[in-house]
Amino acid sequence: MGAWRHFPIFMITVPLLGAVLLPFLGYAKERWVPYVALLPLGASTLLGILLIGRIPSGGYLSYHMGGWEPPFGIEIRLDYVGLFLMLVVCGITFLALIYSRRYIDKEVSPGRRTAYYVLYLLMSGAMLGFVATGDIFNLFVFMEILALSSYALVAITGNRNAVRAAFKYILMGAPSSIIVLLAIGLLYSVTGTLNMADLARRIAESGYTEVLIVSYILLVVGFGVKAALFPLHMWLPDAHSIAPSPISALLSGLLVEVCTFALVRITFSVFTLGATDLVMGTADAVGVAAAAAVLYGGIMAILQKDLKMMIAYSTVSHIGYIFLGLTAFTAEGLTGAMYHMLDHGLAKACLFLCAGNFIYMKGYRRIEDLKGAWSQMPWTCFAFALASISVIGIPPTAGFISKWYLILGNVEGGKWLYAVVLLAGSILAAVYCFRILYYMFFQAGKEGAWEESWHDAPPAMLAPVWVLSLATLFFGVFSSLLIPSLLRAAAYLL
Amino acid sequence: MRLFHNYHYAAAMLLFCLGLHTVIVRRNIIKKLIGLNIMETSVFFFYISLGYLDGGIAPIRVGGADPARMVNPIPQALILTGIVVAVSVTALALSMVILLYRQYGTLDVDRLMREEEPEAVESGKED
Repeated sequence: MGAWRHFPIFMITVPLLGAVLLPFLGYAKERWVPYVALLPLGASTLLGILLIGRIPSGGYLSYHMGGWEPPFGIEIRLDYVGLFLMLVVCGITFLALIYSRRYIDKEVSPGRRTAYYVLYLLMSGAMLGFVATGDIFNLFVFMEILALSSYALVAITGNRNAVRAAFKYILMGAPSSIIVLLAIGLLYSVTGTLNMADLARRIAESGYTEVLIVSYILLVVGFGVKAALFPLHMWLPDAHSIAPSPISALLSGLLVEVCTFALVRITFSVFTLGATDLVMGTADAVGVAAAAAVLYGGIMAILQKDLKMMIAYSTVSHIGYIFLGLTAFTAEGLTGAMYHMLDHGLAKACLFLCAGNFIYMKGYRRIEDLKGAWSQMPWTCFAFALASISVIGIPPTAGFISKWYLILGNVEGGKWLYAVVLLAGSILAAVYCFRILYYMFFQAGKEGAWEESWHDAPPAMLAPVWVLSLATLFFGVFSSLLIPSLLRAAAYLL
Repeated sequence: MRLFHNYHYAAAMLLFCLGLHTVIVRRNIIKKLIGLNIMETSVFFFYISLGYLDGGIAPIRVGGADPARMVNPIPQALILTGIVVAVSVTALALSMVILLYRQYGTLDVDRLMREEEPEAVESGKED
C-alpha cells in the first residue's frame, strides 16, 4: 500500500487546511497572503497529477476516513471521471488565483483581501470534496461550504450592486440547499443508509417507491438551482457578472459544472437499477428545460450591453448543452457532456478573465466600449478570440469536439429535435461572439478610448488567460487523449 | 391509518410548505429569511422524527441495554451539522440585509430589485 492511496483526501483537505491557517498569516503580513495561498492549491494539483494512471480502469479508488468501513464511515470515491473533473477544478482555481492578486488589490479594500483568499481556498477545497465524496450527506456538507463561500465572494467588494446580487443568489440558493437536505432525508428514511454505493444496492433491491420518486425530483430541483438550469437560473446573470472577475470565472467555469456533475453522480450511481422509468421520465422534463435554456440563454446573450452579463447568459445557454448531453442517455452524449464541462470551464474562465483585464486596465464593462480594443490590448483580444471560437464550437478547438459528441449522442438517442436545438445554439453563440470580435478587431474606437501603442495587462494577468485559451486549443487538437477513456467511463456509467 | 400514525411527517411537510410560501410570497427580506428558517426547521424536525422511538433510550451500549429500544443516533448527528450550516447561512444573509438596508434604505424586495443599476459603472472607481 503506497502513500498515493491517501492522495485523494489530501487533495481535499490541504486547501481547507490552508483556509484555516491563512487568517493568521493575514493578520501578520497581508502582503504575503496572495503568494502563500497558491501553495495549497499547487499541492492539490500536484497530488492530482500523481494520481493519474493509478485508478483501475472501469473501477474506482476508494478511501475511507478514520478507519470506518464504507457503509458506516464517510467514503471518498474517485473514479476516472471524478479525477478528471478534480484536475480541471485544480487547474482553473490555480490559474484564477494567480490572476487574482493584481485584480483584487485594485477591487477589494485592504482589510478584506485576506478574507477573499480564505474564502477562495474554502471554495476550491469544497469543490474538490464535492466531486470526490461517496457519501450523500457529505455531499450536502461540501455543497453548503461551496455555496456559503460563493455567496460571500460575490459580495466581497461590498458595493451595493454586489451585495444585492449576492442576496439574490442566497434567496435562490439557500432554499435549494434545504430541498436537497430534505431529499437526502427521504432517501435515508426508506433505505437507512447514506453511502452512495450502498444506496444504489438497496434501491435496486427494493425497486422504486413513491418516496424515491419525490426524493429524486427534489434532488433534480435542488441541484437544478445550483447548476442554474433554465427556469431556475435567475440568480446567475447578476451574480456572475457582478462578482470580481476571477470569481466569475470560478462560478461560471466550475461551480455550475460541479453541481451538474453531482446530479450526474446521483442519477447514475445512486438511482441505477429499479428506478429507470423514474429517471427517464424526469430526464424528458429536464431535456425540455435544457433545450429552452440553450435558446433562451443564447438570445438573452445577444441582447446584452454589458460584456460580463453577456458571458453570464452564454453560461445559461451552455448549461443547457451539458444537460442535453446527459438526457440523451447514450455513451456519446455523456462523453460530450463531460468534455463540454472541461472546455466550457476553460473557455468561460478565459472569457471572464479577459473581461477582467479590460475592467482592470480601462474600467470598460460595456460591449460598445470594446471597439478598437485591439490597438492597445492585442494579447487579451487574441485570447478572447480563441476562447470565443471554442464557445461557438469551431474546429480545432475543444468546443467543437464536445459539441460534435453532444449532437452525435442526441442523434443516436433518436432525439433529432435536440440535435437541431444544439446547432441553433451554436449559431446564436456565433452571433454574440462575432459581434464582439468585430468590435475589437475591425472597428475604430472613440477618440482617446484606447492608446495607440501596445499597453496590455500585466504578465501575471495575461499568463493565466493565455494558458486557458491555449488549453482549449490543446484539448481540441489532442482530444484523443481523453475521449476514449471518457467513452469507456460513460459506457460504464450507463 | 398510516397517515394518522405518521402525523409527524405531515406536520414537517406542512411546516416546509409554510416556509417555502413565506420565502416566495413575502416582500420583506427579513420575513423571507424567517421563512427560510422555518423551512430548515421543518427538515430538521423531519430528520429527528425519523430516529425517534417512543420511550427510547440513549444509544450507549453499556450495562446490557436493549439495542431494540435505542433511538437512531445518525439523524441527530446529521442534524447537528445541519443546524451549524443553517446558522451560518442565516448569519451571512442577515449581515447582507444590514448592508442592503444601509445602501438602499429599504427592506422591500421589489423596491430593492427594481432599483436600476447606474449606467456604465466603472468598477475600479466604485465604492
